[in-house]
Amino acid sequence: MAAVCAASRVLGRKIVSSTALPAVCQTSNRKLHFSIYGKRGDAKVSDAISTQYPVVDHEFDAVVVGAGGAGLRAAFGLSEAGFNTACVTKLFPTRSHTVAAQGGINAALGNMEEDDWRWHFYDTVKGSDWLGDQDAIHYMTEQAPAAVVELENFGMPFSRTEEGRIYQRAFGGQSLKFGKGGQAHRCCCVADRTGHSLLHTLYGRSLRYDTSYFVEYFALDLLMEDGECKGVIALCMEDGSIHRFRAKNTVIATGGYGRTFFSCTSAHTSTGDGNAMVTRAGLPCQDLEFVQFHPTGIYGAGCLITEGCRGEGGILINSEGERFMERYAPNAKDLASRDVVSRSMTIEIREGRGVGPDKDHVYLQLHHLPPQQLAAHLPGISETAMIFAGVDVTKEPIPVLPTVHYNMGGIPTNYKGQVITHKDGEDMVVPGLYACGEAGCASVHGANRLGANSLLDLVVFGRACALTIAEINTPGEKLSPLKPNAGEASVANLDKIRFADGSTRTSEIRLNMQKTMQSHAAVFRTGDVLKEGCDKMDSVYKSLDDIKTFDRGIVWNTDLVETLELQNLMLNAVQTIVGAEARKESRGAHAREDFKDRVDEYDYTKPLQGQVKKPLEQHWRKHTLSYVDPKTGKVTLEYRPVIDNSLNAEDCAAIPPAIRSY
Amino acid sequence: MSLLRVYCTTVFVKKGLFLESTYTACQRTAGYASGGVAKDKAPLKKAKTPQGRFDTDEIESKSKDVSERFLDDVNPETKEKGGPRGPEPTRYGDWERKGRCIDF
Repeated sequence: MAAVCAASRVLGRKIVSSTALPAVCQTSNRKLHFSIYGKRGDAKVSDAISTQYPVVDHEFDAVVVGAGGAGLRAAFGLSEAGFNTACVTKLFPTRSHTVAAQGGINAALGNMEEDDWRWHFYDTVKGSDWLGDQDAIHYMTEQAPAAVVELENFGMPFSRTEEGRIYQRAFGGQSLKFGKGGQAHRCCCVADRTGHSLLHTLYGRSLRYDTSYFVEYFALDLLMEDGECKGVIALCMEDGSIHRFRAKNTVIATGGYGRTFFSCTSAHTSTGDGNAMVTRAGLPCQDLEFVQFHPTGIYGAGCLITEGCRGEGGILINSEGERFMERYAPNAKDLASRDVVSRSMTIEIREGRGVGPDKDHVYLQLHHLPPQQLAAHLPGISETAMIFAGVDVTKEPIPVLPTVHYNMGGIPTNYKGQVITHKDGEDMVVPGLYACGEAGCASVHGANRLGANSLLDLVVFGRACALTIAEINTPGEKLSPLKPNAGEASVANLDKIRFADGSTRTSEIRLNMQKTMQSHAAVFRTGDVLKEGCDKMDSVYKSLDDIKTFDRGIVWNTDLVETLELQNLMLNAVQTIVGAEARKESRGAHAREDFKDRVDEYDYTKPLQGQVKKPLEQHWRKHTLSYVDPKTGKVTLEYRPVIDNSLNAEDCAAIPPAIRSY
Repeated sequence: MSLLRVYCTTVFVKKGLFLESTYTACQRTAGYASGGVAKDKAPLKKAKTPQGRFDTDEIESKSKDVSERFLDDVNPETKEKGGPRGPEPTRYGDWERKGRCIDF
């Protein structure tokens, strides 16, 4: 043992001295933020912001915040184009939530039958309930086959047909011939882990280029000056140092904000950091009230139970043991559409017939079905129920409640990925700022996302951001000057939270926010419920002033980071609920009991002849732009019209709005 | 082995870390490093589910498990190579795997 010990000491010393190394180790030029010789020398440390928090300044051509599917695609797209790129991420790239996207990716490759991307365009526009911007949808669906082929060339192991082409299956509301040709087979997948494989492929590919990864750096704020984005300020969680990344181009790809709700399928890290950074910079977020729900998510765990359970005979039970779906949908009963089921479940819970100690969920009963039938048709469900719910599905019911799955809204961008604001009736580009992925809202999903379209959204718009930046800029451009104390407010906020000594813990405030959002801004939306929710959220927001943190250190202070994330979640939550309260119609995922119909500029249920077009203020086929004053939590709403023309009218005709029925 | 213990404890005492955990860690590593496998202990098996509630034998359930590979990884009905294991995930309209809905 002593020999081993001595040997390791000698070996350790050998690694440091470069002479003994074989040549292959020395040629590695991958830049990480650390090296065995200490931190990279080209970053400058200064006291410009505060003597307590020395700041390290970096200069790059482009900074990407977030390293999920969209972030990685943007980062290496930029590196490939020759830009000196930094990728700042709070998680290791392969831990991003993209890894959980196991469904497929849609593309009109035409491998199973005759297919055309214009039919995919029609399906996506219809799925978005005509709230999607048709130029962005045109761009995405036209680029889809090229994007999938590109991924396949990067090494992503799609499943194949007998001839060796990519196998495509039917999924997610896709049709042929503009809805008239039956089901289309457009969904490509990689066994049962498309998102995992996508992320690993992109990460592996990105290592070919010399992107500098700053892993476990929590981005605090954007550095904005004169309405232009000049970089990002971030906290290095590993050693507590503050870093300013100055760059002419910043791409935000931070993902969604599922964690504002009590029950969601998202990881604990989906906290809407990008949306909050943009809000604090005084820019708007778009369509945050559109949140996609699924009726049967396991209580506590957040995993979704397939609709097949109800298809095979499973029933939903309330606290009285009643099969309550018979009252809400007498014909379809438990097989009613997802939104009907979600709303019925929420009404039951609101009226006090929920189960459990807090009476906040219902039961999905499967034990009345023969176990062999369950095992034959739904193999693996007993394992899932045991692992996630702790129940034996052949004896006990599974606790379920409506669960958030995806956020359609986000940072408003044009089809090229540039962030826009709306002034005097015109869309204006914010120079230096881009957004893509779930954090961006281009808007391709509009009011409702179709299955298997979100992975496509990631790669297409990640690449679009990289292409746009490469088109407008050249690598190595001189950076415009930045005030020496830029980012001071973010550091002051960090300091305030680090030493916060109020009376409520972060976890308590977070739970209050999540429960309020779940009961007031979830599936069941009516005027008074939403109004009550807005007032409650206002008081929860104010309770942030009374927060108490416990860890006073600066090295790996997770208490501090969770509180920063809570501030971000809170900004997203108030915009969601106030936007939902203001939108007095039902469109896509935003369904209101008191306004059950869509309110468009014409009444599309009747022939258009003779109808007068309503002005923008009187109808709801428009995007919501929400601003928040971070000090008070007050939300202001503005609106922006939907882009109804495609990129090229001859190539692809725009789809005029119609009533959406499947 | 004793030299290692002395080395570890002195080093870590100097660095001011807890003694107990490193002491036992050293003992454990010392045992493996000395060349012998711990034959007298039962093989460590990570329990997947709460004890007693899942009565089926683990080996039995694995063979019936949905993650059973197709022959040559080719689905016999659809002739898809490298596709999802088990029944067709989209058969209920959403993407289902092991009873969980992944996408819809």
